Amino acid sequence: MEAWRLPLSSSIRGKLISAGYASLSLISSVSSSDLARDVNITEEEAFEILRLAKQSSGSSSCNGSRSLINGAKNAWDMLHEEESLPRITTSCSDLDSILGGGISCRDVTEIGGVPGIGKTQIGIQLSVNVQIPRECGGLGGKAIYIDTEGSFMVERVLQIAEACVEDMEEYTGYMHKHFQANQVQMKPKDILDNIFYFRVCSYTEQIALVNHLDKFISENKDVKVVIVDSITFHFRQDFDDLVQRTRVLSEMALKFMKLAKKFSLAVVLLNQVTTKYTEGSFQLALALGDSWSHSCTNRVILYWNGDERYAYIDKSPSLPSASASYTVTSRGLRNSSSSSKRCSHKLSFTRAISHNGSENCVSIPAFSGLRSTSPRTISSRRRNASTISRSLRPLVRAATVETIETSSASSLVD
Amino acid sequence: MLSLIELQCRPWLNGLELLEDLQRNKHTLSTGDKGTDSLLQGGFREGQLTELVGPSSSGKTQFCMQAAASVAENHLGRVLYLDTGNSFSARRIAQFICSSSDATLGQKVMSRISFHTVYDIYTMFDTLQGLEVTLRSQMNVNEYRLRLLVVDSISSLITPILGGSGSQGRALMVAIGYLLKKLAHEHSIAILVTNHTVGAGGEGGKTKPALGETWKSIPHVRLLQSRDHKNSNCTISILKHTSMPSGQTVKTMTRKENQQCL
Repeated sequence: MEAWRLPLSSSIRGKLISAGYASLSLISSVSSSDLARDVNITEEEAFEILRLAKQSSGSSSCNGSRSLINGAKNAWDMLHEEESLPRITTSCSDLDSILGGGISCRDVTEIGGVPGIGKTQIGIQLSVNVQIPRECGGLGGKAIYIDTEGSFMVERVLQIAEACVEDMEEYTGYMHKHFQANQVQMKPKDILDNIFYFRVCSYTEQIALVNHLDKFISENKDVKVVIVDSITFHFRQDFDDLVQRTRVLSEMALKFMKLAKKFSLAVVLLNQVTTKYTEGSFQLALALGDSWSHSCTNRVILYWNGDERYAYIDKSPSLPSASASYTVTSRGLRNSSSSSKRCSHKLSFTRAISHNGSENCVSIPAFSGLRSTSPRTISSRRRNASTISRSLRPLVRAATVETIETSSASSLVD
Repeated sequence: MLSLIELQCRPWLNGLELLEDLQRNKHTLSTGDKGTDSLLQGGFREGQLTELVGPSSSGKTQFCMQAAASVAENHLGRVLYLDTGNSFSARRIAQFICSSSDATLGQKVMSRISFHTVYDIYTMFDTLQGLEVTLRSQMNVNEYRLRLLVVDSISSLITPILGGSGSQGRALMVAIGYLLKKLAHEHSIAILVTNHTVGAGGEGGKTKPALGETWKSIPHVRLLQSRDHKNSNCTISILKHTSMPSGQTVKTMTRKENQQCL
């Protein structure tokens, strides 16, 4: 609808059109003070114009007058939208169940833990799992992997990808017996092909990359997960001004939030641990300080409990705090052997293929539940752990660390 | 020239009129939590800016969502929820609501809560100005009256611009504070914002509210929330209040764990 249709005095209408405000959509996209400045009228007049513009666009689109601001949604619609949001499985059904089905899209999830606990493994597993096609209950997306530490091992990715393809074949075999499903034609090479890997060597590069991601993802729409391994590394090395660090980091967090929301993808930030001095003792906490801890929507802490790896949901707006054990095997992340006995025959029926919506509403067992743990555990991955876990065994948050050379570590805590 | 001044100058009010306005237009809104309501003598007051301060995962977002659900359900008002951290969960809202009512009512209540995301302070200004225009044009009455505005969290918008050498960030922070207060006053809206904590420096790992001394003067009411991680009990205490002594503390249980309704 055009601006000259508005019931305004001819002088104001002339001013509006000569200032370039020819259509109603243009007018309603600016604030009253901007309009007043651009068109050179008083704010009261500008406000009147906006009101008229809103009325006439409201009468044409009918429901526009109900919403308070442009683009706002009501919670009822949000609820339905939330329920249809896909989740990325971690391949460990215990972990999936405490996460409410997997890593949630549209959220920023922070995962942190001591060295050797399996942060990078989770990162790799997710970048493979996001590619599980829709027929198998996955997302059929692509992954962006931002590596700051240089710990991305491509052989390991291939190993996990092969295991994933094997599992999918087994799964489609199972599906063939019960349903008519398409044969999955996915090769480990394809999986590697769909991981976009960025190696970042300084914090300047990291900031630049985060700013560039928006453009990159709009060109590659099917990216469904962004993994940063780790967010911390460069910011712990060479940053003197902690106030500036806080500022840069919180801005980066908002950028990630925006990406997650805009493209409906999952952002997974891996974080390191540090020691923190509270109430007379040194405790283990995730790095980057208090301000950063507000930046992520969800927070998962990985820790050792005896010889088992555990994940604990430390912060989440919608999930209760809970913990679950997992293991890292040669095939990737799996249920830990002690709990898999309970779970091996219990298929998780939690995730129906809901994003295909109307197609069929049959509950199909999720892919991750099908495979029980393989007994082979990598011993090489344990090398870090066995040396460090003695001195750094955290009991979530409240862990007291007996002795640690804190002089360097605690100065990094702000 | 004089007429311009007269036009800009607002009419004066006397105390009696103010009291009348207070009793007629400025109600208290229940926070959805009995303990906090009794602490605040009824809940949030319309026309006032309430700030909730607390460390990470102390239950601030839970408190906000509970308040939003409560106002939409018990006071039949509209709620606008501005989210900066993707932490709004409609499912959680539904849990707060459906604990006491059936599904069709639930839908009505849920549709009174509007949700919008804001990722930087400039968008925040645009959003609030847009809101002001809408509120001025549609008379803010009865059924569709906006009664609560939640900003979760204001600090994550302000932190990226604050500090450094320039004072521009500070100016924007104060501007956003006063815009919120103006909205609250003119349209009788209760506003709830959240703020995080930072280390206070020095030994002992003490914390203090973020955003510094300048921000401190902006909210009418300042509440501090903390959570004991051993038994997940939340405590809320008053740091600042315009009409009540500070320092009172109350225990709340915002986190009803594992409460599944849908």
